[in-house]
Amino acid sequence: MKILLFMAALCVVVMSCTKGKTDYEAEIDTVVTEHVEFKEAATVTTNGYHIRIEALNGTFYKGYNEIRLKITNSQTGEISNTSGVTFLPIMTNAMGEHQSCPHRYQLMERSDEKYFSGYAVFTEKSSLDDSWNLYLSLTVNGQTFQVEKSINVQEQANKNLNMTVFTGKDNEQYIIALISPQKPKVSENELLAGIYRYQKPIDNPSGVFPDPTQFSYTEVNGYMLQLDPRMPEPSMGNHSSPNNKDLTQQNDGLYHGVVNYTMTGNWTLNFIMQNQDGQIIKGTVVPDDFTPGIAGAKSDLHIDILF
Amino acid sequence: MKKLSVGLVLLVFGIYAKAQDSQIKQDSTRRIDEVHVNRMVKKKIETEMKMSVSVDEFLASSENISFIKRGAYAWEPLLNNMSSERTNLTIDGMHIFGACTDKMDPITSYVESNNLSAIDITSGQAGSMHGSTVSGSIDLKRKSTPFSLDPKWSGAYQTGFEWNNKQFFNMGNLSYSDDKFVADGSISFRKAGNYADGHNDEVKHSQYHKFNTSLGMAYKTSPLSALRVDAIFDMAKDVGFPALPMDLWLSRALITSASYKQMFEDGLVKVWDSKIYFNAVEHYMDDTTRPENLVHMDMPGWSTTYGLVSKINLKKDDYASEIQLNAYENVSIAEMRMYPQDRNNRTMFAYSWPWVTTRYVGLSMNNAWEISDKSQVNVGGALGLNYNHAKYVEFNWIFHPGTPQEKTRFLPSLHANYQLNFDSFNFSAGTGYGHRAPSVSEGYGYYIYNSFDRYDYIGNPDLKNEISYEMNASLGFKKEKVGIEVKANYFYIQNYIVGRILNMGSPMNYQSVGVKGYTSLDHATLFNFSIGGHYDILQNLQWKGLLTYARGQDDRGGNLPFIRPLSYQTSVHFTHHKIGFQTSLNGDFTQNNYSPEYGEDKTSSYKIWNVSADYRFNIKNCKAVVQVGAENLWNEYYSTYADWGNIPRMGRNIFTSLKVGF
Ligand SMILES: [Cu+2]
Repeated sequence: MKILLFMAALCVVVMSCTKGKTDYEAEIDTVVTEHVEFKEAATVTTNGYHIRIEALNGTFYKGYNEIRLKITNSQTGEISNTSGVTFLPIMTNAMGEHQSCPHRYQLMERSDEKYFSGYAVFTEKSSLDDSWNLYLSLTVNGQTFQVEKSINVQEQANKNLNMTVFTGKDNEQYIIALISPQKPKVSENELLAGIYRYQKPIDNPSGVFPDPTQFSYTEVNGYMLQLDPRMPEPSMGNHSSPNNKDLTQQNDGLYHGVVNYTMTGNWTLNFIMQNQDGQIIKGTVVPDDFTPGIAGAKSDLHIDILF
Repeated sequence: MKKLSVGLVLLVFGIYAKAQDSQIKQDSTRRIDEVHVNRMVKKKIETEMKMSVSVDEFLASSENISFIKRGAYAWEPLLNNMSSERTNLTIDGMHIFGACTDKMDPITSYVESNNLSAIDITSGQAGSMHGSTVSGSIDLKRKSTPFSLDPKWSGAYQTGFEWNNKQFFNMGNLSYSDDKFVADGSISFRKAGNYADGHNDEVKHSQYHKFNTSLGMAYKTSPLSALRVDAIFDMAKDVGFPALPMDLWLSRALITSASYKQMFEDGLVKVWDSKIYFNAVEHYMDDTTRPENLVHMDMPGWSTTYGLVSKINLKKDDYASEIQLNAYENVSIAEMRMYPQDRNNRTMFAYSWPWVTTRYVGLSMNNAWEISDKSQVNVGGALGLNYNHAKYVEFNWIFHPGTPQEKTRFLPSLHANYQLNFDSFNFSAGTGYGHRAPSVSEGYGYYIYNSFDRYDYIGNPDLKNEISYEMNASLGFKKEKVGIEVKANYFYIQNYIVGRILNMGSPMNYQSVGVKGYTSLDHATLFNFSIGGHYDILQNLQWKGLLTYARGQDDRGGNLPFIRPLSYQTSVHFTHHKIGFQTSLNGDFTQNNYSPEYGEDKTSSYKIWNVSADYRFNIKNCKAVVQVGAENLWNEYYSTYADWGNIPRMGRNIFTSLKVGF
């Protein structure tokens, strides 16, 4: 009996390891917060209707935001019979200049889920100089009215939802925004991005502000994003990963690919964007040289992430 | 009746117990020893040249063992010129797995020579008793004192100093036995500084510190049964690995077991011995002692194993058999965390062993029939079930998309051997067939840096079983004064697992030049040959010699790495009254069949001359031996074919030791 006690005691002493094991899943949580719940981000009550705008975590962030609009009768709380909902975000800077950002103008009705679906890729966060307003238009029970609502766009702390704005070789302005994964793993990750192009207005603005033709963005169709992920940290020598897949457009209009992250930390997603004809619109090849001690070279089209 | 029982139980716990004096007593009872089938002769833990040796030095004196050396400590044993994944390494049949991805901690580093009684080396499939293997098995036998009629104390103390690396060691062991109870305890400390090579240059980062202690207690529960508990605790601290880009800060192992043994006087079954065991190993490397490292990394590793061994021995007339059930579960975890140059940035983390569970259940058996006085047939086999599970299989998916998280393998093994003795000749011929599962690193390793070929290695969970077909033969001649033995074996290994350059991915470790993935060659072949002899020139003057040759080739005729070139050992032993004198010469010829593909270069020949002398005397009732000697007397500057990164071996070393036993 004494023997067993002694052994048990010895086991306990030694089994308590000198250094603790890493809880790597919990560690990713410390730099990446994953939001899965749509909450109210803004509300407007007008003409007897209550318009509730929802976004993930109830916050508009710089970058890609999925937007849900719910319109109810403010008295009864019943879902109202709504149609023709349009959505236009506009930023005004200190000089009073207006610009928009990629967005879905004509929101899509999800009748089964009873909301209108859209998105906005806010290109700046709200600040003293830059302020964002949403311009909505909707027809409820045959009555059409406009609504304006100022909103607050916050910095996106999760670098996995970063975005970039650039001018391509075709002189057009493009925006690439990362949509998913919010919380990558050391693994294969489905990579989802949106590519948008600013439509330069052809006509002069019409009298009523805001004229949507002046603030139009389109989802770019049929392009391809070549992907080359690297670790930019000097000690990593521009380390890359295998088995990545370039991003191509799928039925949802978004660009889908696969990125492999071989370890946690800082990564750079280097892109080369090609149009339908295979011409390079933006991006450069990153050399494959292993360069320990030197900060990793990047494509001139890239997005940095961190997890 | 009582006497017989005591005699039987005397054998229960250990065969070679203490010092030389108990040897004769045991010899008389060895006839009814456990029924050992087809196993090599046990050895006393000392070598020709040295009486106080480390476990590594002791193993090195065995003809079919060679070593990969990454420094002065924890050499990786190669059996039949095959690396440790292919060898079944156990302590008293217990499976233990090192916690180092860089193989800094073979099992042999977790014991000490003063808690071992012998090392069983079995070549090829005959070594499948404790689990599946290709090259054979190395079983480290712990010391265990038999029960005695009268209460008895025995013990030994050894101390010594080695000049070259200022190694100082102190080892003590103490045993108590009576007819009901036995206790064995041992403790040892070793401390060594950097050694100097043959140019008298200090080899930096070759120091080590080791502490080892063990305790075993047995209680006789009935005249024919006994219960035993054992524990070993080992701690190595501040161990340098000059051939690697990092050192060891701390490594600890706790090895415990409880066993119950029942003996039977009548009937077919003679002994039933069951043991449950648990062992835990933790291993923390340290690169902060190497300022040349650009990147600071933490690389901790843990390995935990639970297991069961249950064995019965059968004997009837000319037939003897051992049947053994082995079961164990191991979890191996290794992490790497790289620190960015700007420490404000986020550290980079990955698992190099993504929580890999290995479960094994196997039934092994060995049968021996004495066909006649002169000939014997041994037939045996094993069937094992090997299961792997990676908790973080997504790491493996990066290189092997969609590979299953679990993998189950059947590992069959068969072997047969025929032995014939006539007059002064003995002859044996055997054959074997067996599978082995890939090791944790081969299956699930993730960016494990190999500083030998400077590649990062990626495991492949879908590797096929390695299948070995083996033939062996030996021929010996023995007369009073002279003996000679020729041994050869040949392995044809299908799906031989090696690392091949991958044309995808890029290195993660900054010293690395590329990425290699474990893949299977169609086959590889290995041939080992040895010829050994001894001659008693005079009654007190003996000569011994050994020549070994090996050749390993892959499926395209290319050389396999770490194959020992033609090598020799020769020694002369002289005794006069209480004085003993021995001298030996050993060396390798030039390694012509090296493998550049696996990072090898041509290693030149070398020869090492050693001498030692000892004197035996008595202090009161204690027997004492004092020994003085020198290794590498010519101060040759050399590195062997298996020295990692061609680090030079130790130059001239003068050693002294004292052993007192009672
Ligand atoms: Cu290590």
